[in-house]
Amino acid sequence: MSVTPGPEAPAQPRLRVVIAEDTVLLREGLRRVLTDAGLDVAGTAGDAGQLLKLVETSRPDVVLTDIRMPPDQSTEGLQAALEIRRRWPGTAVIVLSQHVETEHLFELLAGDPRGIGYVLKERVADVAQFTGAIRRVAAGESVIDSQVVSRLVARPRRDSPLETLTERELAVLALMAEGRSNHAIAAQLYMSPKTVETHVGSLFAKLGLLPAAEDHRRVLAVLTYLRR
Amino acid sequence: MNRWLRAALVAGAIAAVGCFVWSSWPPNSQYAPVEISFAVVGLSFMVAGIAAWQRWPASRLGLLFTIVGYLYLVPYILVNLANPVAWTIGNVTEGISGAALAHLGLAWPTGRLRSRLECGVVVADYVQNIAFNTAATMFWNPAFSGCNASCPANVLLISGGSRSAWNAFNTVEGFVGFLMTGIILTLIVRHWRSARGWSRRAMIPLLWIAAAVGAENILTGNLFHFSALVTYALLPLVLLAGPALFVISTVRARTAGGALGTAIVDLEPGASPGRLRDALARALGDSTLQLAFRRPDGSGYLDTSGQAVDVARPGPGRAVTPIADADGAVLIHDAGLEHEPQLVRLTAAAASMALEHSRLQAEVHAQLEQVRASRARIVEAGDAERRRLERDLHDGAQQRLVTLSLALGMARDRAAGADPELGSLIESASKEAREALTELRELARGIHPAVLTETGLSGAIQALAERSLVATTITAVPDGRFPAAIEATAYFVVSEALANVAKHAGADGAQVTIQRRPGRLVVEVSDDGAGGARPEGGSGLRGLADRVASVGGVLRLDSPPGGGTRLEADIPCP
Repeated sequence: MSVTPGPEAPAQPRLRVVIAEDTVLLREGLRRVLTDAGLDVAGTAGDAGQLLKLVETSRPDVVLTDIRMPPDQSTEGLQAALEIRRRWPGTAVIVLSQHVETEHLFELLAGDPRGIGYVLKERVADVAQFTGAIRRVAAGESVIDSQVVSRLVARPRRDSPLETLTERELAVLALMAEGRSNHAIAAQLYMSPKTVETHVGSLFAKLGLLPAAEDHRRVLAVLTYLRR
Repeated sequence: MNRWLRAALVAGAIAAVGCFVWSSWPPNSQYAPVEISFAVVGLSFMVAGIAAWQRWPASRLGLLFTIVGYLYLVPYILVNLANPVAWTIGNVTEGISGAALAHLGLAWPTGRLRSRLECGVVVADYVQNIAFNTAATMFWNPAFSGCNASCPANVLLISGGSRSAWNAFNTVEGFVGFLMTGIILTLIVRHWRSARGWSRRAMIPLLWIAAAVGAENILTGNLFHFSALVTYALLPLVLLAGPALFVISTVRARTAGGALGTAIVDLEPGASPGRLRDALARALGDSTLQLAFRRPDGSGYLDTSGQAVDVARPGPGRAVTPIADADGAVLIHDAGLEHEPQLVRLTAAAASMALEHSRLQAEVHAQLEQVRASRARIVEAGDAERRRLERDLHDGAQQRLVTLSLALGMARDRAAGADPELGSLIESASKEAREALTELRELARGIHPAVLTETGLSGAIQALAERSLVATTITAVPDGRFPAAIEATAYFVVSEALANVAKHAGADGAQVTIQRRPGRLVVEVSDDGAGGARPEGGSGLRGLADRVASVGGVLRLDSPPGGGTRLEADIPCP
């Protein structure tokens, strides 16, 4: 393990990341981007079996895995992620998918949503945002792709309390569903954290949800509500 | 029957009755009932003779009926002729028709006597009849009856006759006749007991009639004495039972013919050969009827109960009739039926039709099964092809575009500082790539939803509900996996139905229910829209109905105007 704090970097250990992706070009591209972004890529794997071995030997902070991998090109990455979470509970996992489905998402969140990410694969193109997501899951947050969330929020509904939410409250709700903390929501919506808290309280009351202090519980509660 | 023979028989009958009437003219009021009774009985046998000849040309029954008719009338014509020789012959042959009647009874129903013993009995009956009548006649002086010169002379009369001798012979004849009647009745009962199937049925009316005729024979014999009216006019009417026998058997054959038709009509489609046999046997009243088929390897025949049958030697009293157009199928029936060739032909034709029907039905079923299987295969092949396409898109174009996006992202970051113009150019290329990815993702999803293959119905239906353009609630979706063709069919039903709701129904909401029932999966999509959808309304619904039918299911549409629309697919599911 090479913890070499740079001259201007704060003295914190570099995040150790493992990448599982069966397309060589993409895998190497990812390694390059993440390394350039200051992450320590501890190893790469081309299928689920290799990934599990790699995690066992190198014990990374974050695992980045494609959902579909050889040999069956089904949900091997998802199964491997669940297995990793079961065997090494502290490890953060981001699952990358070409098509985001809530079914997979809920399978993933069912255990402990802390340190879980579920994002569209093409998000890797925005390097800054992507590394940001890695750092967030490493910090124990949940990262849910905005596309899933916006689809759920935009669903047509009948006689739903959601219709009584203000535009701002809806925006807050969506960001909560993406796994953002009050602080992050405040920064993104240019509000004070106090205002965010007010919005959160009010929309929870409108939806009849119990206020949850911890962000990860909040994610699950909101997503479950939206998915109904 | 030969035209000339028929003409001769008809002419003979008319002549005989004519002679009878002429010879007893002018009618004597005292004897009128007797004469009418005679004419009726004699004529009825003659008519039955003609009809029997017509119906059973190969049998001697027609001849026997005719003979009985003539032997019944001729002696009385002769007696009435007022000629000594004719009178004597008439007296001698007076009771001969009774022997002929016994002959007819013993020869029933084939027209042939069965054994030498029976031939002997019949001959003995004829002989004793003539012998006793001859002997009695020799002692009968016509003057005993009170007539004198007006009576024809008895040419056989010896020594002026003797009333007591005549009486004695008549009494003995009565006893012998009683004995013979007993023997003949016993033989007839034996025939009935040994008969099987059709023959046995044919024997039953004979039994009753023989008993009646036998009784008549004994009562009108010389042992009992009734008034002349009873003896000569009423009791002989019992003999009408002979022609009645013919009528009964004719009606019975006709009834059996009709019953055959009914049996075939009532036979359920595709009934087994065993059921066909039962129906034919019931209709014919021949419980011994067998329906046999050549073994596939050609080594003999098996009947419907699986017993081997020797068609070349079907056994005593059995006959074989091949069934046309039925590839080696045969009927094995009671030989007595052979005297009803029409009925046998009818039975064989009915069997042929039923077998042909079964064969055609089996063929249609087999073809339908083939078509069903091939349709299912085509749909499954289509599904597999869609899955392959989706996978190819995912592993190929989509993956490359993601890689391209990543590279563009890196390039943009590098260029951003040094050359902002290049940076924004790369950014727009990157945006294009993202949009291409989005379009490709939707395209792949439309081709085949990966979530269906990966997680099954519940995840895929959830995804449909989340993407639906109308508020959609899922009431029930069974967990667990089903065969791929069934999952795909259920998925496409919901997908197409929700698309229709969004497009046409003007509904506020839709509801999806998928329930597992014993042996099937019931998919139901309903909305609260305008209703009035018609199954033929669009190629979408028809295509869906075809799709559901490909897995053996049924699609039902219930869409009353103003009452919402309910689409239900009932899919067989193991």
